[in-house]
Amino acid sequence: MSKTKVHPDQKYIDGLAANDSTVIQSIYKKYVPKVVMFIMNNSGDRDHAQDVIQEVLILLFNQAKANSLQLTCPFDAYFFLLCKRKWLNELKKTSNKGVTIIEDAVSINESALELIGQTEEFDEKQQLFDTMFQKLGDKCKELLKLSFEIKSMEEVAEKLNVTYGYVRKKKSLCVGQLTQWIQEAKNFNSLKNN
Amino acid sequence: MNEERYILFDEYLQGELKIEAKNDFEKQLVEDPEFASQFETFKNIQFQLDNKFGFEQERQAFKDNLSQIAEKHFDNKPKVIGLKPWYLAVAASVAVLFGLFFFNYNQNPVYGDYNNPEHASFTERSTADETLKQAEKAYNHKTYNKAIPLFETILQKNKTAEIQFFYGVSLLEESHYIKAEAVFNELKAGNSAYKEKAVWYLALSKLKQKDYEGCKKILETISEDYEGYDQVEELLHQLD
Repeated sequence: MSKTKVHPDQKYIDGLAANDSTVIQSIYKKYVPKVVMFIMNNSGDRDHAQDVIQEVLILLFNQAKANSLQLTCPFDAYFFLLCKRKWLNELKKTSNKGVTIIEDAVSINESALELIGQTEEFDEKQQLFDTMFQKLGDKCKELLKLSFEIKSMEEVAEKLNVTYGYVRKKKSLCVGQLTQWIQEAKNFNSLKNN
Repeated sequence: MNEERYILFDEYLQGELKIEAKNDFEKQLVEDPEFASQFETFKNIQFQLDNKFGFEQERQAFKDNLSQIAEKHFDNKPKVIGLKPWYLAVAASVAVLFGLFFFNYNQNPVYGDYNNPEHASFTERSTADETLKQAEKAYNHKTYNKAIPLFETILQKNKTAEIQFFYGVSLLEESHYIKAEAVFNELKAGNSAYKEKAVWYLALSKLKQKDYEGCKKILETISEDYEGYDQVEELLHQLD
């Protein structure tokens, strides 16, 4: 990662991570109308806009919580482009018409593009992970949920009324199962892309 | 599935391997790309799980808050009627401002000019209980002395920022300054949608007590993003 200076607009990211209503309200006030305009001018309505915006803000919350979001460009451009690309992808999925994302390259600087790439990658990884997690059996799901909520494996064992050794082993195997699936999906994707 | 390998990964991450086994493990990471790649994925999944479940409650709170703000944002726009009282209030304030400007140079602004208590509507949304209905009615009829004990009962059972806010306004209307300011200070320290509004009311409380300097100091802490910033600016201007 390049060591670029963090933009003052990082306050929006930090505010989202802290669930600060004032910050969220000011994002809606300042930056949302532009997105709504764009979506409404591109085969969408206000409800679509509301959904896309909420999805993007939740994504930013998640990425900020994972400590991997350092804003190096103005929030305005970054947020608008994320919403725009998400909406165009949505259109692509639902219509048969090919939608090409044409970037008005003049208005975007490189660091914004790089950052958007990172956020979209984070989103993809998370979606892949969620899909695989849903494939797990109920026992694995419950055990993993407890393990990462409670953090102490002794307590998890007590809660599930099994031995410590058992939960430790089971946890490794459940994570192992996910590892295997995700590894396979990755290999498949790299075959597809080459 | 290579069970032993995953158990080994976990032990390594927990720092449970003996020094020799640890050295072997690290050697393998360098020499065996497949092993290294699997370990990387394994580590990454732990991280994802941590994110998924470690912040589950916070995430839910964020989503709830977000929907509330979004609903408010998207609903408010088309309804012109909803904005009318606001315009009237601004117009009235402007009229008062002009009056003060031309006829009475030395008079300080008063609480009544800036206090436009908003209409409470808790019960529309759900089948609310009887106390809440009574409280809403008392508040909207401006019989604040009746509303106060009702709000107190509700807050004991279910403390929400919304009820706290209207409770604070009622207290201020009845000039229970210390109690009112305590309520607004608590909202100010929180993260609810009433955070900034509470600061505005803290300023109004000072204004009502004719503590103009205190009022000004608080007003200066309100960010320009606050939805009622026009009024803040206006009052600041008045105080100068």
